[in-house]
Amino acid sequence: MTNDNTDPISNHLWDHAKSNGLSRRRFLTLMAAGGGAAVLAACAGDPTAVPTLSPTSTAVPSQSPLTGQVPLPPVTAKMVTTACDYCVVGCGYKVYTWPVGMEGGPKASENALGVDYPATVLSGAWVSPNMHNVIQIDGAAHNVVVIADKDTQVVNVGGDHSVRGGTLAQKLYSADKPTKDRLQHPRLRVAGELVDISWEDALSLMADVSRYVIDKYGELAWGMKTFSYNYYENTYAVTKLALAKVQTPCWAPHDKPAAGSDTPGLSDAGINAFSASYEDWKQSEVIYLSGVTLYETKSILFQEWIAKGGAKLIVVNPRRDYTAAFAESRGGLHLQLIPGTDTVLNNAVARVVIENGWEDQEFINSRTVNADELAGETSWRRVMFGMTFDGYKEFLLADDRYTPENAAKITGVPADKIRQAAEMMAKPKAEGTRPGTSLMLEKGNYWGHNYENTASFSGLGLSVGAGGRPGRVMSRGGGHQRGMISAAGYPKDKSPDNYKGNKLELNVDRWAAEGKLRFMWAIGTTWFSAMGASNFLADTIGAIIRDTQPQLSLADAFPGGGSTGPLDVAKVLEVLKARIDNGGMVLAQQDIYTNALTEFADFLLPAAPWGEDDYARMQGERRLRLYSKIMDPPGEAKPDWWIVAQVGKRMGFDGFDWQDSNDVFEEASQRSIGTVHDYAALAELARSQGKRGHELLRELGTTGIQCPIKLENGSLIGTPRLHQDSFGTKSGKAVFPRCDWSNVEPFQKQFAPKGDELWVTNMRTNEHWQSQFDDSRIPYRWERFPANILEINPADARARGIESGDWVEVKNDNVLTQTGGSHSAKFKAVAYVTDQVAAGVTCSYFLFGHGRRDMAANSITPGITDPINNRYRYKLGKGLVESTGESEFKNTMSFAPRNLV
Amino acid sequence: MALEKSTATRRDFLKASVGVGGALGILAFPMGITQAIDAVSADVSRVTQTYPRLRISGISDLAEGQPIDFQYPLQEHNNLLVKLGTPALLGIGPDSDIVAFSYSCAHMGCPLNGMYKSEHNILGPCPCHFSQFDLTKSGILSIGQATQSLPQVLLEVAGSDIFAAGVTGLLYGHWNNLAGGTEISQS
Repeated sequence: MTNDNTDPISNHLWDHAKSNGLSRRRFLTLMAAGGGAAVLAACAGDPTAVPTLSPTSTAVPSQSPLTGQVPLPPVTAKMVTTACDYCVVGCGYKVYTWPVGMEGGPKASENALGVDYPATVLSGAWVSPNMHNVIQIDGAAHNVVVIADKDTQVVNVGGDHSVRGGTLAQKLYSADKPTKDRLQHPRLRVAGELVDISWEDALSLMADVSRYVIDKYGELAWGMKTFSYNYYENTYAVTKLALAKVQTPCWAPHDKPAAGSDTPGLSDAGINAFSASYEDWKQSEVIYLSGVTLYETKSILFQEWIAKGGAKLIVVNPRRDYTAAFAESRGGLHLQLIPGTDTVLNNAVARVVIENGWEDQEFINSRTVNADELAGETSWRRVMFGMTFDGYKEFLLADDRYTPENAAKITGVPADKIRQAAEMMAKPKAEGTRPGTSLMLEKGNYWGHNYENTASFSGLGLSVGAGGRPGRVMSRGGGHQRGMISAAGYPKDKSPDNYKGNKLELNVDRWAAEGKLRFMWAIGTTWFSAMGASNFLADTIGAIIRDTQPQLSLADAFPGGGSTGPLDVAKVLEVLKARIDNGGMVLAQQDIYTNALTEFADFLLPAAPWGEDDYARMQGERRLRLYSKIMDPPGEAKPDWWIVAQVGKRMGFDGFDWQDSNDVFEEASQRSIGTVHDYAALAELARSQGKRGHELLRELGTTGIQCPIKLENGSLIGTPRLHQDSFGTKSGKAVFPRCDWSNVEPFQKQFAPKGDELWVTNMRTNEHWQSQFDDSRIPYRWERFPANILEINPADARARGIESGDWVEVKNDNVLTQTGGSHSAKFKAVAYVTDQVAAGVTCSYFLFGHGRRDMAANSITPGITDPINNRYRYKLGKGLVESTGESEFKNTMSFAPRNLV
Repeated sequence: MALEKSTATRRDFLKASVGVGGALGILAFPMGITQAIDAVSADVSRVTQTYPRLRISGISDLAEGQPIDFQYPLQEHNNLLVKLGTPALLGIGPDSDIVAFSYSCAHMGCPLNGMYKSEHNILGPCPCHFSQFDLTKSGILSIGQATQSLPQVLLEVAGSDIFAAGVTGLLYGHWNNLAGGTEISQS
């Protein structure tokens, strides 16, 4: 280009580039290579321009598409339905594909949406540039538009969507887009590098190594860490191998060190974590939100249901986030508690309710246990912690730490706000009716002191009559969608872990760090970075894998020379066995991209996710839909169910002869019976109609059906709300679980900041929510936060000489580890100075970038678990915070407040 | 609005991109900004459109933090012009702080009129779904649900006057920024 600066855009761009420190030469190079977008990207910190970002992420142009047009699907476009791949809300989408060059026109008669363009406000018919992509179908370039279903009456009514779902089209593989680094071929680590090998070699080696470990060291030396949320077809296959066939207790979901309930206090009460329907939240008059960043993490549930329903919100959150500010602006409350003090706050609110006689006595009498019914409960936690309402009342009133004034000292929440919360939730109205009160909890609650936080939440909720009633419910809001059907029960009797003699699910992280595992298979997870004391795990387990000899050499693997010739499978197996016999471990990673775990992997197996096979699962109100296949996987990538089945067969197990994902779906339906996932009726009806299960589900489109499903008179009947008649206890009556701050207090004291330390809790942001695994490939989501951030209060920032846009280092020399010691760890982030957080509290993204050990706040999260059920307290980190100088994002990233209402 | 069919090859197209690369889909010419409809295939016929060049205001007519509304690039499309008082990406004027943005929320099109927050240089929250846009950073979402930044009207200064000369991003509702509305008369 000539750039004589006679045109306005290049003038602007050059001025802008200069102010961001780009040289004229660099500017011209970027203009020639990528035009203005590349310049803006460089100025905004594009990793290609400023080489500081994820080594595992591809170059990301850092501007939304600047295009002034978008192609419209023609009337002849192929349409399939799906739902969003990301958060628990699971909005319904339509996917249009058509050959490039066959675009539709702007008249309603000329396009598949049947709309005249320009589309009208709130029509749900506007195709934004990020809803469009170009993909390969049958070897030919096709346009694809992934757009929220404007006609849906459920979930995302009228085609509402979040920034995440609205950019789904960008996640589809494209060889010239940032998704181009999708894993496409099985790989094996040889001489320190991952080299492509054939599926047959990869599968037979995986099977032979597995067989060797199990035969020689037993199933407690063979482990698996897998997604819990991924589609039924994949979770069922994975658990069929690990739990039904190998029967190992060394199995844990992606977000915790051990299997079992995340919300044990809710489970012990007898309440399913996903018992509510979205209509219930809309009908509620008051909603107590315990640790829920509602707007950013359940965007459409908030926008379409809760905000429209008009409930007064009581937001319990150390951050004054958008939801908290919204609540206060509309007659609600923000209870800005000190991290970790939820139990005291919940108990204090409940105590005010009870002291005033505002409890829902009718509900308590009819729906909660009496002493005889409680005595009939047999699960160890209910036996140990279960109470009647009378017992609960006595427990609260006997402990003066739960008076509003004393609770205020512990929680930092003013006593009058505690009283106001109780009054809003439970004080009968003048005409004698009770407010319709519901309660929602999420990780701000249960990623603290897991048992007592969830138990105190349940007690409060039952006191005010919430649970299983229209507009009066108690549920999780949810994180991932609900895609787990386990092919077998967890073999708890084999686990060495216990609490006071009661068997617990095994803490797989500790087990691995202690060197007890010889083979580990991580499916769809970064494993270490997602766990507490993440750098300790990576260093410790990484050393067991990589530093134990022998490691494969080129001569071992390719005796013919080079690194691509025929693999000497027998020799490879011999070397891996020798490492195992020397106390080492072999790690297999199965995923769609590389991430922070990859540097340790021996095997890397390419999976095929959303859009590359037909899959099914349910979302946050248990709505089951088909997630239709859109395109073939790139290269040799395969669905997880297929990979697991192939290894299972080669290990000598039967039951892995599925031909397609529908075969797995139909088989898994039998294991759904009796669970909230129950869709056996759908599979049965499909059979009776001569259809396949997936096909019948496809007919239900984006509406789907709420599980459990019944078949009545030839029709499928869904279940909008659970627990209408009974709770999940022996008697069907709810139990008040004991929630004693005394159990928590020693840990809280241990975790609390000392001296100049600050709390380092964690958060999610709208742009990175259940989507970090591909956020860095989706430019518009990535450019908002191209690096991890640390929210810090202006007073704390001033005291440390920190400004928005500075790099900060967060360090803790005493991170408690899984194996009983402590170590020193740190992470870096870009400072975001904001009064969203109180003085003394900072907040960061716990697992940023999926590939960035140096930015993962989890490196300083305590590695010791809640003793009652092996859960990390991810929210309760602390550290010293200091500036390490200006970041390259200081002048380009937005540091605007995110809580303006 | 000039709307002409072109059968230029991709090679010709790039050659013509003297000011700004073809990757932007925006061509710059001395008297206005041309939007090329960059179909994916290299050899399909192209439509080349030139954005109108419209005088919006005199620089001295702008008071800091007090937006002026104007229509562009079609008569149906409302925008704000504002002197932020803070330097902004693609800002013009002596302080690089004069910017212009569409008033249509880039999420589902609800009007953002009256939602300018001068203290924070934010437009929003949108009354429908609460999206907010940072006017100092090319309209990126500060928080919210839009799938692209708020379209920014490209400005240029000639003498003491401010002219609108193009738009970044796709305006809500449109498949094409210059189609489906009433032309404005150029100045």
